[in-house]
Formats: sequence, structure tokens, C-alpha cells
Amino acid sequence: MSELEEQKELLYVIRSLEVLMNSGIGLEAAIHSIGKGGYGTISRDFSRILKNVEKGKRLEDELRRVMNSAKAAGYRRLMSTLYNNVTSNTAILESLSTQAEREEYERNEALKKYIEDLGNLPESLLSIGMISPIILGLLGLAPQLMADAGGLFTVPSHSFVMTIMNGGLILTLAVMALIGWKAHSKDPGM
Amino acid sequence: MVLLSIYERMNDYPEMFLLLLVGLIGIGGAFPPIMERLRRRKLENSLPEVLEAMSSNIGAGEGLEQAMSRVADLRKDRLGAMFKRALQTSRASSFDAAMAELALNSRSKQIQRVVNLIITASEQGASLKDILFDMSQEYTRLNQLMNKRENELMGRALMITIFISILLPGIIAFMIGAFASPSSGMDVAGINHSLMLFFAGSSILAVTISGRMLGRFKAALWVVPIWAFVSMALYITLYHAIGGTFGGY
Repeated sequence: MSELEEQKELLYVIRSLEVLMNSGIGLEAAIHSIGKGGYGTISRDFSRILKNVEKGKRLEDELRRVMNSAKAAGYRRLMSTLYNNVTSNTAILESLSTQAEREEYERNEALKKYIEDLGNLPESLLSIGMISPIILGLLGLAPQLMADAGGLFTVPSHSFVMTIMNGGLILTLAVMALIGWKAHSKDPGM
Repeated sequence: MVLLSIYERMNDYPEMFLLLLVGLIGIGGAFPPIMERLRRRKLENSLPEVLEAMSSNIGAGEGLEQAMSRVADLRKDRLGAMFKRALQTSRASSFDAAMAELALNSRSKQIQRVVNLIITASEQGASLKDILFDMSQEYTRLNQLMNKRENELMGRALMITIFISILLPGIIAFMIGAFASPSSGMDVAGINHSLMLFFAGSSILAVTISGRMLGRFKAALWVVPIWAFVSMALYITLYHAIGGTFGGY
């Protein structure tokens, strides 16, 4: 399970827990509701927590287990809040509300940053995608354009130039893919 | 005439034929995800309003079913119709089963979550008025954020596709056509073939990147082959057109 997957569902999980518990529903029933599905990887975790509790394991141990295996910092914080509520009876609603606000702020900022980061993506892709075939295209034509200059210097063979050109074009595609990768890697997860 | 000449040129590039065939099938496959997405977003955008109306009705002393029924009567959109159908189903089965069916038929994660919360709250005897109101606020903010992403990135995603799949082959075709026109006697078949494959590759990248930016990667995959074909066809057509007009060095 990836950090992005956890991050994607986290805000909805916190808000749902907040809404449910604010209306007087207990923690276990709230966990059960989330565990029923609809929140991806977090639903699976919560469902497993309740299954293990039914088998006789302690709720706090299960919460700690998920807390230790969580990859996203926000998810770890949420599990820590739930754990503290079970062990020390802390004020969970206040914590959930603060966390939800923090997650929402972070998500808004992440989206803003994502939009800013992708701002120059079309230009970067076009620059690399254009300069490279122009240079490599001329290079491919070079042996024929300079055929008469054979006496002045050694003109590379057509096959050699074509190998360089094809290699260059493949490299350009790889660079374009790397530039475009940030559209995936920086996705705020919505 | 132009189509015939493109068809003749395509005989030299069998991969273009393949892309055209797969691309035409892909266009057919691209429509259902687009329609489905439009339908789902329409439902999701009307959800906060519905939740708020239900919260007001419950606050006025109505029960959940009554509140749903009133909202269903007032709304003429798809969500209202789905509510009406769910209420009819609930008469034959149970309310929870009808709600679960509504959630399933909506094929929307947002609606499924809301239904799940309503069922839990209802089972636990919690205050539905507060829950529905809180959820309406929550989903209003969420939809605003999703619409913001869509609006802000749509232009850029379109620009990437147009730049890379149309502008780029056009510029390079102009350059190669002017320097090494078909009548110049130069052997450019190998260069053209390499460049066409490059344009197909860059088009594939551009369309998938655009799709990922908008969060529609899988839907974008359907139109990848046709864009790759357009890119290749555009290059070779423009090369011959420009080479025939401006070329001749």
C-alpha cells in the first residue's frame, strides 16, 4: 500500500470519523463504518482491525500495529490520535477537527503547488521535443548535405549517423517521459 | 484526392495502418468513460445541495425517508430520480437495502460514502440533521477543489497534446521538407521513418501525461493510438506538401 493511496483517502476518513463521533457514535462503530468500504486502503486496514478485535486482540494493539505500518505521516497521526483516545481517553473530537483542518490546508497547498509545478510542463516538453529532432534531423541529413566536402574532412557514414540519430531520439523520449513523470509523482491525490 | 494520397503514403508505413485501426476502435472505447465521468460528476456536484436540503427537512421534524421523498419530489435532476427509485424499492425491500442499491447504482465513491455514513448514523440513532449538514459542507469544499483542479489544468493538458502531437510534427516537417524535399534526390526515407516513430512516441507520452494531470489516465489510454496516428500522418503529409511547395534545394 502506497503513501499516495493513504494520503488520497485520509481527509475523507478523518472528516467521516469527525462527523460520526460528533453525533455521538462510538469509536468502534465509527471504525466499523469506515471499514465497510469506500475509503480504499484505509477501509481495508480498519476492517482488519475489527476482525482481529473480534478474534480477541486488544483494540489499542491493533491501532498501534496500523500506526507502525502507516506510510503517510497524516495517517500515522490519525492512528496515534485514535490510540491515545483508547488508552488515555483524550478529547478525540478536538484532535480530529484540528487534524482535518491541517490535512485540508495541506491538500489545498499541495494542489496549488501541483498546478504551479505543471505550469511550465508544456513548454519544457515542447523545448526538448523540438530541439532534439531538429538537431538530430539535420545530423541525419549531414552525410548527404556534406557529400561534396569529402575531400576536406571525413564524412561519417549514413548508417553511423542514423544510429546516432535513432539513439538520440530514444533518449529524447526518455527525457520527455522523465519530465512528464512529475505529473504523476507530485499528484496531490484527489 | 488528399485522402487517396495519404492512403498511398501509408502503404510505406504499416505501423500507421495498425495505429489507425486500433485508434478507431479506441475512439469508440473512449466515449463510455467520458459519458460515465460526466454523469458521475453531475451527481457529485448536486450532492451537497441535496444533503443540505435533507438536513433542513430533518431539522423541521421530518424523518429520513420523508426528507428524501421531499427532496426527490423537488429535484428534477438525475439524483432526484435516483432518490425516487430508491424510495420505491424501499417499499418492496428494506430502506437500508434500497439505499445500498442507490449507492451501488450511482457508481460514485462520494455517494457511496455518504450513504454508508447515513446508514451507520441511522443505526446508531445519531443526529442526522447535523451529520447531513456537516457532510454537505465537506462535499461542497471537496467538489470546489476537484473542479478547481479540472479547470486550471484542462488548458495545460490540452496545450501539451496540441503542442506535441500537432505543432511539433508540423515544425519538423517544415524543416525537413524545406532542406530535403522529395525532389531533392536525398535519401530521407530512413530519417522520415525514425522521426515518424519519434512523433508517435512523443504523442503517446503527451496524451498519457495530459490524462494523468487531469486524473483520467485510464480514459486517456483509449485515445493514445489515434493521436499517435494523427501525429505520424500529419508529419508525412506536411513533409510532402511542404517539400513539394518550398523544397528543391
